[in-house]
Order: sequence, then C-alpha cells, then structure tokens
Amino acid sequence: MNDLTDAAVVNALRRQMTVAAAKQVVASGNLANVNTPGFKAKEFEFSDALTKQLAGGPGLAVTSAKHISGAGDLSLARTKEAEGLPERRDGNTVQIDRELLSMSAAAGEFARAQTALAAKFRLVRYAINEGR
Amino acid sequence: MSTLGNAINASASALAAERQRIEVAVSNLANAESTRGPDGQVYKRRDVVLASEPTDTFDLALSRANATGVRVAAVLEDDSAPRRRFEPGHPDADAEGYVALPNVDSAEEMVDMLSASRAYQANLTAINMIRDLVQRALDLGRL
Repeated sequence: MNDLTDAAVVNALRRQMTVAAAKQVVASGNLANVNTPGFKAKEFEFSDALTKQLAGGPGLAVTSAKHISGAGDLSLARTKEAEGLPERRDGNTVQIDRELLSMSAAAGEFARAQTALAAKFRLVRYAINEGR
Repeated sequence: MSTLGNAINASASALAAERQRIEVAVSNLANAESTRGPDGQVYKRRDVVLASEPTDTFDLALSRANATGVRVAAVLEDDSAPRRRFEPGHPDADAEGYVALPNVDSAEEMVDMLSASRAYQANLTAINMIRDLVQRALDLGRL
C-alpha cells in the first residue's frame, strides 16, 4: 500500500486552498488601503507558516499514526510588512498592480487545488457507489 | 478567524471610502466659483482623511493574517487663503473691488477624483476575485 494516503492528499490540498485564501485576504486588505497615508503593504509569511506546518503546528496533538492532525488552520498564517517596496510621498507602499497580481496568482492556486480536490472526491464517490 | 468574508468587508469599506473621496472632489469642483457657502462665507475646499482599520481586532491581537479595512477618519476644510479676483461690480466684492473665490484648484480635484476612481475599480476587481474563490469552494459541495 502506498504511504501517500487519501487523507494526506486531501489535507495537503486543503492547506493549499487555505494558504491561497489567506494570500487573498492580505492582498485585499492592502488594496483597501491604497490611499491611506502611511500604510505599509503587508505580506503573507509563507516560510514561517510552512515551518509551523511541517513542525505540526499548534493544532491537534497526534499521538498515533491513525489520528488526523489539525493541519490547514488559518491561525498559523501571519503577516509581516513587505520589504523593499518603494514608498510614495505619503508614506504608503501599496502598489495596485502588485496586489492584483498576487490576488490573481492566489486565485489560480486556489482553483488548481479545488480542481484536484474535486477529482479526489469524485474518486471517493465512485468507490462508495461501487463503480456505478 | 481570518476569513474571506473579512476580505470582502475590507474591500467594501474601501469602496465606501473612495466613493466619499469622489463625492468630496465633485462638491469641491461644483463649488469652485461659490462665493457664499451655507455660513455666508466663501466656500472652502474639503479634504478626506483616510485611516486604516482592522476588520477583526481579535486576529490583530494574535497578529494573525487579517484583512485591513479603511475608514474615513475626517473630512477637513482646507484653510489656505482664498483666490482673489478683481471684479468691482460683483455683489460680494470687498472695498477694494476684489471678490474672494474658493481655494479650489480644478486640476488638483481631477487628479484626486482619478486616483479615487482607480482605487474603486481595483477594489471592485478584488471583490469579484474573492467571490469567484468562494464560488469555487462551494462547487466542491455539489459534485
């Protein structure tokens, strides 16, 4: 039996969708403040979230291989100020094109994961219906 | 919990704020020649002050990823000196024959309006993208 179980695949896809949604949330917050003086553009901290996910995160404790871990929690997602962005005269660092691009990228990421997840669920349904 | 609903709230707050900026710019333009305001004094151009505001203070306290909305903190009057035009026949002319006109610069207002309408468009696009995301997530439920 392959060690890549259904639950692991579904969890990974769920995480991917969660991260894409978090990126969307952060980018829309930046866009909302495109004209706020002194506002600094925020960024989703991917590497930090990844490290926490790999370490198991503060989710459900797993003491047996059969337990389902509480992975894919948005509470792991943190933001930081984006660095290296040019500052406008009013101290704002939001760039509309950059934020819209990151929203498009996140939407694509979300769509990919969703399509794969839908295919996975279709397979499960196929099995439940005994191939009918 | 940071959700897509919060993201839509943030974008919606920006729509309201940008709309108010357009409204104020338009009223400044409309009153570019108004020598009498409601108080009998010459009209003063107004400015919108925007301030960012977290949509979810609980998430903010935990420094979680959260959408930051925006609100109109104040609408302030610009106290710079009014323009003066020599027009002795005007009913509002002073003793020297000068009429005080509002301190409105139409080029400045047009630039303000343009930047507000671009920001409005960007936020509408953002809302549409989030809506598509939610729709896709819902599509998982009906296979």
